Amino acid sequence: MSAVVAPPRPSPSAPADAPAGARPRRRPGLPGLPPRPRRGGRVGRTPASLSWPLIAALLVFSAFPFAYLIGLALTESTLARPLGAFTGLDNLTEALSSTAFKGSLWRSTLFALTASAVQLVLGTALALLLAVRGRRLGWTGVVLLLPLVTPPVMVGVAWKLLLAPVGGALPSIAGSLGLGDPNPLGSPTGAMVTLIVIDTWQWTPFVTLLVYAALLGVPRDLLDAARIDGASSWQTVRHIVLPLIAGTLVAVALLRMIIAFKLFDIVYVVTSGGPGFATTLSSFDIYRTGLQQFQVGEAAAATIVFSLLVGVFVTVVSRLRRRVAGAAG
Amino acid sequence: MIATRPRRWPSAVLALVTAVCSIPLLYLVSLSLRSRDDVLSGSLLPSRLFWDNWPDTFRSLDLGRFLLNSWVVALLAVAVTLALALPGAYYTARAGRAGERLSAVVMASYCAPPVVAVLPLFFLLRSAGLNNTLPGLALVVGLANLPVAVWLLDGFVRRVPREIEEAAWLDGLGHWATLRRIVVPLASPGIVAAGLICFFLSYNELLFAISFQQQTSVQTLPVALSLFQGDRNIEFGQQAVASLIGIAPVYLLAVLAQRRLVAGLVAGAVK
Repeated sequence: MSAVVAPPRPSPSAPADAPAGARPRRRPGLPGLPPRPRRGGRVGRTPASLSWPLIAALLVFSAFPFAYLIGLALTESTLARPLGAFTGLDNLTEALSSTAFKGSLWRSTLFALTASAVQLVLGTALALLLAVRGRRLGWTGVVLLLPLVTPPVMVGVAWKLLLAPVGGALPSIAGSLGLGDPNPLGSPTGAMVTLIVIDTWQWTPFVTLLVYAALLGVPRDLLDAARIDGASSWQTVRHIVLPLIAGTLVAVALLRMIIAFKLFDIVYVVTSGGPGFATTLSSFDIYRTGLQQFQVGEAAAATIVFSLLVGVFVTVVSRLRRRVAGAAG
Repeated sequence: MIATRPRRWPSAVLALVTAVCSIPLLYLVSLSLRSRDDVLSGSLLPSRLFWDNWPDTFRSLDLGRFLLNSWVVALLAVAVTLALALPGAYYTARAGRAGERLSAVVMASYCAPPVVAVLPLFFLLRSAGLNNTLPGLALVVGLANLPVAVWLLDGFVRRVPREIEEAAWLDGLGHWATLRRIVVPLASPGIVAAGLICFFLSYNELLFAISFQQQTSVQTLPVALSLFQGDRNIEFGQQAVASLIGIAPVYLLAVLAQRRLVAGLVAGAVK
């Protein structure tokens, strides 16, 4: 599995061999030939034209949508005719007075936090198990990949059929164990827990893979030293391994939260936001408002509020991440 | 590694976890082989194998068409993503500070939930006459996956030895030609991994597909299945068949490219 370990990232500002401030020396080359390039020197200057396709794509996919959303939020729009009469902040007021949307912001945050926390713990535990097992990944790699690549719609259908009150596997298993007639999708808490369980089924392997890779980078002699000093396995994990991979753990948690805020498909298939609004997460609520109820302006205003929430959230967690990374050295 | 010697019990725990986690998929297989009455009886396994669900599903859903649409969209989307991400990742990996800055902007754009782009791009596609078309959807999905691709490819480009690029420049190759003739061939295992990951993301995508493809003829399989399933559909067997048919190609690809995918995911994420 050594192919899995990422190489150390070369520092971005690799120091040229000249000290800062010194003028670049000209090297005498052979007459008629360009001067020999120094390693990492100026011949390698990357032309900006390489970045243009990416920048153009960012303009189309990020800058344009935000500008357009602001336009939609400030005007009266329908799907047929966007950007009609100027309405000021009416759409924003409308969005913020919607119980479904206001609640969805809180539910999205709750979902993102809980799901990533659960997955971080389970994923790390599995990665430690894999490391303790002490063999190459082998077929475990395939097993870890499959949930990740399963189309979420199909994942949703599978779970929905599994939990169906009639004909589902869960009710019949519970029935044969004498546990009554469970219907998790029928209660608000049950439905939210179901979403978290499904998301955990799909995404825990991702955490496991990344944490496992970080574990492979833990220097062996540290572990040997701890063992010689008489540390138990748990003590070694707690005081040596976990601090060493703390940076990875926080980074993975952040990534998982960002992805969890995007969740749409599982909600759409499994709960449609219900019962009531119990599982109406923001992405789903915005889709419903804009493309099913055709309240385009309100949906645009809601989108802006939602992305601000995600933005603030991500900024706060990244700050935290930098602090942890700093503390871990 | 944490273990001094390989141990048995972790394997047992891992096997147990795997078994529990495979229940949803195994239940799909079981459902696909049971008649409606057999499903309602509440048993977990087929009382007798009922194969009719398979042909019946093809009769109730135009599965071939939806699968084809999904593949066309996913392949086109991967092409869009890689065409834009390769020069982009070459820039972020090699342009020093400027590259780092662009990389930060790309990552920031990845944080925004995709629902942000739905309404604006809906209107943009329509004014370009690309709504309800496969290339239109592929373009949007391809752009959506760009940050993931840049992130993964950046790591692979950094592993290409600079000396080889420098030799290419000395021989008079420009940066674009170096990218095409030196970096792309040398980073090809990584590019394949990134391409596959983008393929899965595109093939699995629902939000843009369901927002932009109102006509049945251009819907992808996830859209068709999400509309086919529902509380009023009591054909559990057919839902299971359609799901399994949609899952099969991605599983096949994942198994075949297992090593590359694991290495790709990990190399991208652990930087």
